[in-house]
Amino acid sequence: MTKILTKHFDEATLHELATYERLGGYQGLKKALAMAPADVTAEVVKSNLRGLGGAGFPTGAKWGTVPPTDKVPGPRYVVVNCDESEPGCFKDRVLVTRAPHQLIEGLLIAAHAVGARQTFIFIRGEYQNQYDVLARAVAEAAAAGHAKHASIDLMRGAGAYISGLDTALLETMEGKKAWPRQPPPFPTVAGLMGQPTVVNNVETLSMLPFILREGGEAFAKIGSAKNGGTVVFSVSGHVEKPGVYEVPMGTKLRDVLALAGGVRGGRKLKCVIPGGTSMPPLMEKDLDLALDFDAIRAAGTFLGAGGMIVLDETADAVEVAHNIERFLAHESCGQCTPCREGSFWNEEILHRMLHGKATAEDAPNLARIGENITGKVICALGDTVGMVTRAYLQRFPEDFKKRVSSNG
Amino acid sequence: MSAFTPEQEKVLVAWTKRYPYPNMGLVEALRSVQEWHRCVTPAAAARVAELFELPFSRVWGVATFFPSFTTKPTGRHRVGLCHGLSCSLAGSDKMETCLEETLGTKAFETSADGKLSWEPMECLGACEQGPALLVNDRLQGQATPDKIAKLKELK
Repeated sequence: MTKILTKHFDEATLHELATYERLGGYQGLKKALAMAPADVTAEVVKSNLRGLGGAGFPTGAKWGTVPPTDKVPGPRYVVVNCDESEPGCFKDRVLVTRAPHQLIEGLLIAAHAVGARQTFIFIRGEYQNQYDVLARAVAEAAAAGHAKHASIDLMRGAGAYISGLDTALLETMEGKKAWPRQPPPFPTVAGLMGQPTVVNNVETLSMLPFILREGGEAFAKIGSAKNGGTVVFSVSGHVEKPGVYEVPMGTKLRDVLALAGGVRGGRKLKCVIPGGTSMPPLMEKDLDLALDFDAIRAAGTFLGAGGMIVLDETADAVEVAHNIERFLAHESCGQCTPCREGSFWNEEILHRMLHGKATAEDAPNLARIGENITGKVICALGDTVGMVTRAYLQRFPEDFKKRVSSNG
Repeated sequence: MSAFTPEQEKVLVAWTKRYPYPNMGLVEALRSVQEWHRCVTPAAAARVAELFELPFSRVWGVATFFPSFTTKPTGRHRVGLCHGLSCSLAGSDKMETCLEETLGTKAFETSADGKLSWEPMECLGACEQGPALLVNDRLQGQATPDKIAKLKELK
């Protein structure tokens, strides 16, 4: 299967500049710097690259919304979102550890395309090992003269999941509580300190060297319609071989599971969370689904950031929903009342259900609370609070019923 | 008297100058404070506010928003055990019991000598090696009874 980002992962010293350059590294940047910025963006539009941090927004189109300097004067920024925190996702950690220069080259290409002279890599504080790898690689790239057109600086977060949402990330960078902003304006128009700012995920930016080197069309051809290139799934849970697996967009769920060795111990599959725990699960009937942003959307869930958690028949939907809602209640920033209160009550109710105190009203109450959150809050975390438990209720009603009848 | 040594004050001032705008260094500055004091006290936040020329309420709001900052001292070694979904499926509850029994402290409590504290943490981005163990923001891979026993040997 075609690989782009993980193609050279068997090279032990890929994280070093010399190895990366020997394998064609920084050729994409060289090509980009010889092009007009608008032509670089056009190439990325052609590639059908979508934002791999979760939203799936076309990257070239996003860059295209950065206003010209005569409309909005002052600096432009590019910020790398390396605040990977969605439960089930660990591909950014692996990409940064193994191929930091791939990210840095992509970042420098993006900076040229949108006219940014300053760029930042925002990395979660718990990734101190990865921070060290990046700091060293950034210094190497600068010393080699690759970063003459744009500076790169690093900044760490402080343990809040919500900082991974672009506007909350910018608030964190500005030294504020990570409260999401209500767009519009979107960050590309008014982002960091009010200036046009492109926030892109690690995996998205890491695709750019290939796109510039081989051309947007070559990248688009690898994937499916409107979903260019590959996607790196982080696979964990009840599988034989958890790990990262890069596959072309449009690869069947069945084939991704096979790469991870299938369901552990030959057990029966219960469901698969496709993109991180905020995404409703896919079911056994979806095994032949060709995974890309649009197909997964049509199946009623989201590709998200490709954090695939496999659950076998031993998993209990109430336990799973409780784990997810506990996480969301902990991470709700508290800005919107429906999310702050709803996540708290969802966790309370599910906790009671787990501890032998379920009532017949619990399931309808969970559904009702959910309906009153999704669509009534600023950010995607809140939407998730309402969506996730309802998804498990709808797919596994028997697991919830069992809790009521087993109270005796 | 300042909450900080002269050397620490220099580090904090450096954070006000590192990025294009002084306030952009605030979260990193508070990370430094947490590292030195193992917590962020109101007195420390007040001094940070002076150095950043920000209202105390702004700095204290940030200090009490982010989970990395604590109002009471953590251990000199702060241990995290992931209890996200994948790590939970991999038995994080058993490793929580192991931490409690081996270190002799409950979650969020610090040992009497101030050396160690442990706490369950949200997804640490290491789902393929769950239950994931973190020590002072560095991933240590899968938590095992052996690894947890070795935590006591940390200086």
